[in-house]
Amino acid sequence: MASKKLRRAGVSQELCELLNRHHVESCKDLLSLTPLEVMRVAGLSYQNALALMRSVSQHCAPPVTTLLELWKPKSESFFSTSLPALDDFLRGGLPLGTITELAGPSGCGKTQMCVMLSVLATLPRALGGLDAGVVYIDTESAFSAERLVEMAQARFPEHFSSRERVLQMASRVHVFRELTCQDVLNRLDRLEVDIISTKAGLVILDSVASVVRKEFDTTLPGNLASRSNLLTQEASTLKYLAHQFNIPVVLTNQITTYLGNGGGGVPGEGDSGYVIAALGNTWSHTVNTRLIVQYVDARQRQIVIAKSPVAPYAVLNYTIQKEGICLDGDNQEPMGEARDPGLQPIRVRTEFKYSLSQAVGTDGGS
Amino acid sequence: MKPVSASPLSPSVKVKLLNAGFLTSEELLQLKPLQLSKEGGLSLEEALEVQQILREGVDLPGEGGAGLGSTALELLQQEERSIVTFCSRLDAALGGGIPVGKTTELCGTPGMGKTQLCLQLCIDVQIPECFGGLGGEAVFVDTEGSLVVQRVADMAQAAVQHCCLQDQDAEQRDALKDFTTESLLGHLYLMRCHDYVELLAQVQLLPDFLVKNPKVRLLVIDSLAFPFRRHFEDLSVRTRLLSGLAQQLIRMASQHRVAVVWTNQMTSQLRGGQWELVPALGESWGHSATQRLLLHWSGGRRLASIFKSPSQSESSVAYSVTREGFRDAGQLASSPSGREQDSSSQSESKQDSSSQSGSKRPRTQEGQ
Repeated sequence: MASKKLRRAGVSQELCELLNRHHVESCKDLLSLTPLEVMRVAGLSYQNALALMRSVSQHCAPPVTTLLELWKPKSESFFSTSLPALDDFLRGGLPLGTITELAGPSGCGKTQMCVMLSVLATLPRALGGLDAGVVYIDTESAFSAERLVEMAQARFPEHFSSRERVLQMASRVHVFRELTCQDVLNRLDRLEVDIISTKAGLVILDSVASVVRKEFDTTLPGNLASRSNLLTQEASTLKYLAHQFNIPVVLTNQITTYLGNGGGGVPGEGDSGYVIAALGNTWSHTVNTRLIVQYVDARQRQIVIAKSPVAPYAVLNYTIQKEGICLDGDNQEPMGEARDPGLQPIRVRTEFKYSLSQAVGTDGGS
Repeated sequence: MKPVSASPLSPSVKVKLLNAGFLTSEELLQLKPLQLSKEGGLSLEEALEVQQILREGVDLPGEGGAGLGSTALELLQQEERSIVTFCSRLDAALGGGIPVGKTTELCGTPGMGKTQLCLQLCIDVQIPECFGGLGGEAVFVDTEGSLVVQRVADMAQAAVQHCCLQDQDAEQRDALKDFTTESLLGHLYLMRCHDYVELLAQVQLLPDFLVKNPKVRLLVIDSLAFPFRRHFEDLSVRTRLLSGLAQQLIRMASQHRVAVVWTNQMTSQLRGGQWELVPALGESWGHSATQRLLLHWSGGRRLASIFKSPSQSESSVAYSVTREGFRDAGQLASSPSGREQDSSSQSESKQDSSSQSGSKRPRTQEGQ
């Protein structure tokens, strides 16, 4: 919209040529000028300059609706995660048209959750799915098709009883392996085409942090700014596509250590230090929903709803089984102690001493 | 009278008139169009247009008589109402609520409740006058995509119930018939902007929209920071665009009698060797809003601090976000954690430390 040429925004031919001489070619260029500059550049009187800006604005501005027109039933505004307690807190599931982030330490189940959501997206609407394809952008080469099939068959045995249904489901999940930042950007540029051709109802980017952290060393000057810039660009593209196609976008993120002089008041937690979601403060603003996964002990894990436009702060326990994520039956703490969601003390695996079954000798206290 | 060089004519016409020796607009109006066109070297249509523009006498559209001031007494008597936030302590600290006719900025880290407060205001502005509200409509400009209609519907329902539970007279019962969830959603206009150009375009068109919909009393932009936090090759362009935007919003607020509220994000800044969180968009942006509220964590509670206001003193108030919306802090079911989280105080901005006097509230007040 912004790069629309003025000619197509209803500006007369001669005026366009006049403006082109001053390098004002698109709507963006014109609206970035002040009225006085427009007067000078276009040779118009003040009133006419304002009228020109108004008419160009009308071609750029988004349409106005009321919320009543946008109010749709739950099935059309949320993507159910098939975890009833989580759906309950999220008032239906992941909101369509928004970005949901899964952040957590390694091995916690982020990719498992992504695979599970891929299966769910391909299910027919009667079973709570979106009956659509999935665009899965994999930057860590963590996607496993066998796991996808295993999860589908274990979670919905009656539906996936026949081989052909399984194959049909697998053919609807389109996996793209991108290993550098530039590849990811190129893929996002082409994402619109991919979404239309695969009839996708879900976009997964696993993970957004890995490529960025590999290539940007934030201790070097200037890198922090260009990294932020890249991420904001990615986020804008994803939000735009999510909104236009009304589909959910799921991203996974890593964690990083928080170097504050705090943490002194958290004694005896077996704390491995104070870790927070990676990619910084600006990134935290851009995602709409943030779910943090963390360890309770070697087997039990937790999902924490840290940021959501609809849900309060909540903590849910789960484990990873053959059929994917399974919430514990008794979900206590619907309203956990409210904490600063920007500074979640996420627990990591190295905290836990877990004895390997055929370990040689004892691990000497970690 | 005004000199020709300062008149709102097009540059080429001005040059011709100045070359012909005209100095003031009075001289131009004394002649008839035919004579003007001959002496000024203009075409007949241009001459007519010149005289029309000068005769209107009003330079800027919609300004209506520059120079008509008002006395402080008149301003006092005007008595603009404020929009309540449903958090009584915050309303008290703000002197009634968010003021109409002024601009307010909400800063805070992600997940604090800025969008929730904005949505609550969009609902509260529609409360009928007999219940103490403004009975107006709201415009929500969304740049982030955090607006989930279901959430607004829940908050609307809670507000309707809140009003129904109050003691009612005949007038109030009458007003309640039109005060339903559907009507609340129906009077909330949404504009979704994906980048800063769309935002600029939308703000250009808003004055016309406000004239066509005179019942609008609230304009929310959530968030103003997001589209501008991308890379600008020339940072001065960004500053210029932002100040132009601020000007337009301030003008809209006072001319059309709307409360303008926008949200800002936080950014990390290296100060004295330490990374601190400060409001985004730069130092000069801090001057744009009349009033600034900071939403932050402190000791396990959410606090709203007023850190810039021409009429209210700086203070901090505890609040909470519940299923019904933005409310007072005491309505939480569970009491906050007793552990002092030192690192959470890192996120308080430097400005907050200047409001030392009001911000230290005794913790025993919490958890009614």
